[in-house]
Amino acid sequence: MSESAVVSAAITNWMEAGKPTPSGMSMLVDATLRALKEAKMKPSDIDAIICNTTALPFNDASYITISAQHFAHRLAEKIGSVGVRCMNVCAACASAAIAFAMADAMVKAGVVKTVLVAGFDNSPRGFYYQGPSILDSDLTVSYPHQVVGITNPSYWAMWARRRAYETGVSVEDEKRLMATVKEIQSEYGARNPYARYKKVFTVEEVLKSPVVCDPLHLYMICAVSSGAGAAIVSNMETAKKITDKPVRVLASTVGSAVFNEPSPRLVYFATAGGKRAEKPFIEWRKPIEAAYKQAGITAEDIDIIECHDTSCFHPINWIDQIMGWEREETDKLIKERQIRHDGKLPVNLSGGTASFGESVMSQALMMIHELFRQLRGEAGERQAKKNLKIGLCTAYGAYGAYGAILLEKAW
Amino acid sequence: MGVQTTAEKKKVPIVEGLFTWPSDKPQLIGSKCPVCGSVQFPKSDTCNNPYCDHSKPPEEILLSTEGTLYSYTIHVYDLREPFSYHKAPYAIGAIELPEGINIIAKLTTTDEKKLKIGARMRFKVDKLYEDEKNVYLTYYFEPVEEGEK
Repeated sequence: MSESAVVSAAITNWMEAGKPTPSGMSMLVDATLRALKEAKMKPSDIDAIICNTTALPFNDASYITISAQHFAHRLAEKIGSVGVRCMNVCAACASAAIAFAMADAMVKAGVVKTVLVAGFDNSPRGFYYQGPSILDSDLTVSYPHQVVGITNPSYWAMWARRRAYETGVSVEDEKRLMATVKEIQSEYGARNPYARYKKVFTVEEVLKSPVVCDPLHLYMICAVSSGAGAAIVSNMETAKKITDKPVRVLASTVGSAVFNEPSPRLVYFATAGGKRAEKPFIEWRKPIEAAYKQAGITAEDIDIIECHDTSCFHPINWIDQIMGWEREETDKLIKERQIRHDGKLPVNLSGGTASFGESVMSQALMMIHELFRQLRGEAGERQAKKNLKIGLCTAYGAYGAYGAILLEKAW
Repeated sequence: MGVQTTAEKKKVPIVEGLFTWPSDKPQLIGSKCPVCGSVQFPKSDTCNNPYCDHSKPPEEILLSTEGTLYSYTIHVYDLREPFSYHKAPYAIGAIELPEGINIIAKLTTTDEKKLKIGARMRFKVDKLYEDEKNVYLTYYFEPVEEGEK
C-alpha cells in the first residue's frame, strides 16, 4: 500500500446561504485553481476529481440542482481535463470527508497518483425539512417533521440534555459549557479571513440569545452558508517532489449507521430494537477507532482537532468520543479553556461552523484546510502554540454519515 | 351547508400506518423479525439487524403503550410551512420502550416539572390540528402522574 499525502488545500470565503452570486461554479473553480497553483500543478496532472453533491433539494428548482449533482464532471469540463475519473459523493454534512476518503483509498491502492477533492454547496435556509418523494417514501425518514414537529436542532438538544443527565450536571451547567465553546470558537473565527462571522461572543451573550429548542440557544446553532474548498492528495513520492512539507494521510475512514446505537439518530423516528450498546454515540466512535487502528496510534497522540460543529454541543461530544475518557475530563478541558490555540488540546481553531456557518456538503474541506495549515505552521494568528504532529478531523451528517481523517507532519 | 364543528369532523391520522386507527385503545404499529427478534418502528418490510440471515420478513406487532423518557427538548420556534401547524412552544421527547427501541414523539406538556428523564410516559393519540374538513391526529406521550397505575 502506498503512502498518501495532502500537498495543497484552499477554501473560499464562506458567505450567506441563498445568494446567487458569485456562482457556485466560479467559487468551486476559484478554490480548485488556488489548490493547483499551490501544488504547482496543471489540470492535466490530476488523475481523478471527486466532488460532493449538493444539499439543495431536488423538489424546488430541480433544473438547477441536477448539474450540481455532477460537480466533478462540471469541474473537469470547466478547468480542462484529459478524461479523468470523475466521481460525485453524497453523505450529508460528511460528504467532503467521504470524498477525501475515496481519494485517499485510490492513492493508497496505487490506482492513481494524484486526486483533486473539491466541493461547493449553497445550503438550504431555515430548518431542514424532508418529506416523501417518488425516490424514497419510507415511513422512517419521510414523516418525522410532519408527525412530531422535530427539527435537526431538536435531536442535538435532546443529546445535550441526556449528556447533562448522564454526567450528573445541571442543564444550566451544560448550557454554560456550550456557550464557552461558542465564545472560544468565535475568537478564532475573528482571526480567520475566510470566516463569515468575525464577531467575538461572550458566554453571557450566548446565554442571553433566544432559545430555539431548549437547552440550545440561537447562538449555539450554526448558520447556513455557501462556500467552496479544494485539496490535492498525491502518493508520497509525488508529494515530496512538489513540497518539502507534505502532510501524510495516516487514515481516512468512513462510518455509517450502527444497528445497536442507543441514541436517537438524526432524521429518523427510532433506534433499532436489538441489543443496544451501553454507551451512546457508538456510530461516532467507530470510524475514529478504525482510524486509530489503521494509523497504529491512540487518542493520546492527537495534538489538534477540527470537528464538525453544527451546534455547540457537537465539539463537546466529539471530544468525549475522540478521547474516550470520562466526560468530566472534557468539561474540565473546556472550562479551563485548554481548547484554545495555547491550550493542551486545541479544537476548531478555524472558528468552526460556529464562525463559518455550514456549507453543508463541502464543509469538511474547510476543516481539512485548517488542519493542513496548522500542521504546516501556516495558520497565522490562529496557529496553535504547541508542537503539532498529528491532527484529527471528524465529520458527521444525517442518515448516519461519518468520516474521520488523521493527518500527520511528514517532514 | 353550515360550517362543521370539531365534533362533526372526520378524525384522520396525520400519516397512515404509524398507529392503529380507528381504535378505542390505539397503539404504535411496529414490526418484529421472526428470525432474530429485532423490533422496528415504523413497521418495516426488512429486518435491519446486520447479523440476521433475513430468511423471513418481519411481522407486524403493536408496541407497548408505556415507556420511559430518554431525553426531551422544548421547541420554542414555530416551523414554517407546510409544518406550521406545530405551534411553538411544544415538547419533543425520545421514549424508551420495553421492546428496547427509542422512539421520537411529541409530548403532551411543556411543563418541565412533569418532564423528568427516566420518568414513566404513556402513549396516547390526540388532535394535532384541524382544517375545514378533518381533525388530524398524531401520537403523543404524556407523563404518568405519581400514584397512577
